[in-house]
Amino acid sequence: MTAGADRAPALRRAATHAAIFLSLIAAWEVGAQAGWLDPLFFPAPSAILASFWRIYVVQMNIWPHLGVSLGLVFAGFAIGSILGVGLGAVVGLNALVRRFLQPYVIVMEATPRIAVAPLIIAAVGFGAQSKIAIIMLVCFFAPFINTLSGVVNVNEDRLQLFRSMGASKWQILRKLVLPDAVPVIMAGERLALTAALSGVLVAEFIQRDQGIGALILTYTRNLNMPSAFACIFTLTAIGFAIFKGMEILDRRVAFWTNEEGLRRVGLARAAAHATLAGGRHG
Amino acid sequence: MTRTAETLRTANAPAPIISARDVGKIFGGGSVVALQGASFDVAQGSFVSLVGPSGCGKSTLLRLIAGLIERTSGSLSVHGRDITGPHTDVGLMFQKATLLDWRTALENVLLPTEIARTPTAEDKRRAFDLLKMVGLGDFAFSFPSQLSGGMQQRVALARLLQTGADVLLLDEPFGALDEFTRERLNVELMRIVAEVRATTVFVTHNIVEAIFLADQVVVMSPRPGRISAIIDVPFERPRTLSLQTSVEFNRIVEEVRTTLGEH
Ligand SMILES: Nc1ncnc2c1ncn2[C@@H]1O[C@H](COP(=O)(O)OP(=O)(O)O)[C@@H](O)[C@H]1O
Ligand SMILES: [Mg+2]
Repeated sequence: MTAGADRAPALRRAATHAAIFLSLIAAWEVGAQAGWLDPLFFPAPSAILASFWRIYVVQMNIWPHLGVSLGLVFAGFAIGSILGVGLGAVVGLNALVRRFLQPYVIVMEATPRIAVAPLIIAAVGFGAQSKIAIIMLVCFFAPFINTLSGVVNVNEDRLQLFRSMGASKWQILRKLVLPDAVPVIMAGERLALTAALSGVLVAEFIQRDQGIGALILTYTRNLNMPSAFACIFTLTAIGFAIFKGMEILDRRVAFWTNEEGLRRVGLARAAAHATLAGGRHG
Repeated sequence: MTRTAETLRTANAPAPIISARDVGKIFGGGSVVALQGASFDVAQGSFVSLVGPSGCGKSTLLRLIAGLIERTSGSLSVHGRDITGPHTDVGLMFQKATLLDWRTALENVLLPTEIARTPTAEDKRRAFDLLKMVGLGDFAFSFPSQLSGGMQQRVALARLLQTGADVLLLDEPFGALDEFTRERLNVELMRIVAEVRATTVFVTHNIVEAIFLADQVVVMSPRPGRISAIIDVPFERPRTLSLQTSVEFNRIVEEVRTTLGEH
């Protein structure tokens, strides 16, 4: 089979998808223009597009909100997930702490984190701190649980091998336990960053001062549905970018879990030791 | 041919590398007697096979020698030193290669050195030479998941040799491989341990393999795990696979079978 023959069905599939998507948009547009669709729920695509133009280019009023929200997302994610990985490692490595914490972890895992958001505001007060605290909370658990289980599930044979080589606890941690847990920790980070996006919206829905969540509330209250939709689709794009970005990061960091990563790093390591491998010809 | 541990010691014999006297191991507060009254000596440079059915305490005995578990009774020493915990006088190899997936073959072989000190260029060269010795010179920069099961065990063998330990403990190292690969690796193993002059304890449940490789076969039986006989294998080295068809070889196979109670 040639490459061209391989590409043809993929192209046709893409074309089919595009055709279906455009038909849906066109049907939506026609339905909205004809008045069949309630403009409150389904503003015309052309109106949404016009709103995009207005809020991004003409008024440029979405930018500061976007900046605030993304800043909170990354700050809360960074602090929450670092705490999660750190505490997960500590708890996972300490059998005694683990035994005592186990029931609490289970209870906390079963509690929807968002439910605690109003309590956090009551405790920390309004402002950026409480928003970051809410995001930290929703970002904490996936990395915590994943790191804990990654650290606990160490292969017994590998552990014995390290011991018989005279490895210290620190060497076992650094050369075996942590690298072994990297793929599962990365999976936790992916979940956490996605949760951070929901977390910032909840925080901004409660404190409607600024941010993309507050903006959606304002537009909705003013019945400016096309602009509210523009904000929502913006979030769709950010969510997708986060998903893709984390996927790429995951594949690079845990390179040994995918063919392409193995090939890339293998070549790099071979190049770094060129003199060694070259020795066998000379 | 069958001897007891007591008759192993003769007045002018050199001190054994591994010496076990009445070694016992009980697991789970007395519920499982994994090993009872095991006594044997392993001489410098010799190859000893432990053979017996599953659950007769072969792995337990190996882990006791490595100091990975504590014996419940008896005395056990390597190089004349009493075993009280993990020690670097022995190198281990398991049925699963237990390579680190995020390290190349070369980096896996270097691991024991890295644990002991910062590897020098000379250490790296030695690791590379060991990979060549096990036939993987062209795969130094491949990762474990890019290698076949047999190749992974070759890397594990190279890593074992990189430890520099002169006592090798192998727990069914080729047990998960197909018959063909296993036979080939067995022949290579014999060549390599002779080359590095290692003392080897090799666990298997394959009688032919046990005899083919060994100077002595320690036959074990289960419930409770114990040594039922130690049988000498007097054949010259180097040995070839054709040895397995000889009358004398098959006489020893019969002897081991009889001891194991299989007829
Ligand atoms: N960590 C352990 N805890 C409890 N029992 C064990 C443990 N390890 C081995 N045993 C028991 O000790 C006996 C001998 O096991 P093992 O040495 O693994 O046998 P083999 O390697 O000959 O198959 C078996 O009955 C096994 O179930
Ligand atoms: Mg075993």
